[in-house]
Amino acid sequence: MPVRREVDIEASPEEVWEALVTEQGRERWLDEPQRDVHVEVVESPHRLVWWWVGEDEPATRVEFLVVASPCGTRVVVTESEPAFPLAALSMSLAGVRA
Amino acid sequence: MSDDLGPVFAALADPTRRRMVQALLRDGTTTVPALTSALPITRQAVAKHLAALDHAGLVERSPAPGREVRYRLRDGALHPASAWLVETEAAWDGRLARLKEAVEREA
Repeated sequence: MPVRREVDIEASPEEVWEALVTEQGRERWLDEPQRDVHVEVVESPHRLVWWWVGEDEPATRVEFLVVASPCGTRVVVTESEPAFPLAALSMSLAGVRA
Repeated sequence: MSDDLGPVFAALADPTRRRMVQALLRDGTTTVPALTSALPITRQAVAKHLAALDHAGLVERSPAPGREVRYRLRDGALHPASAWLVETEAAWDGRLARLKEAVEREA
């Protein structure tokens, strides 16, 4: 069941990339000490995938797409549970959430 | 994420079972014959998938007059899964706002 969110940032993709890919960069915005980041895919500076592994919850997969946009950079993040191809499910859940 | 989500997600990982759940969301109740004619699978397979959904706590038998057995979604069965979606969306909105602020401050 992927959750997909996006944000527009007034900065270059390279500047955004630094904040995603380095630990130092992540410390500035990612306040999640209970989960460890295990980076799986690094396609600089446009695609980053990491696994989030915590003691108390199942691991999830987080994918960032970083693309140039008219205002600077658009970041699209998708978090999903690996065991679960969820696109179809979110459609069925949409009826429940409405 | 709460522990009871595992069986729900596992049950819904199967595309046929997701179609059954979608049919129930749409129609309220259904029967084995109705599902058998709507899906490209045998009556036995329908019964097996219904049993898996029942085991995960997603469906139950609906009291109905006559001999026909109807199935429906269990009240609130999908709520933990949809709650996870809502919480995770809200968490990302917060993180992405902080990411934006951090990067733009430095840019």
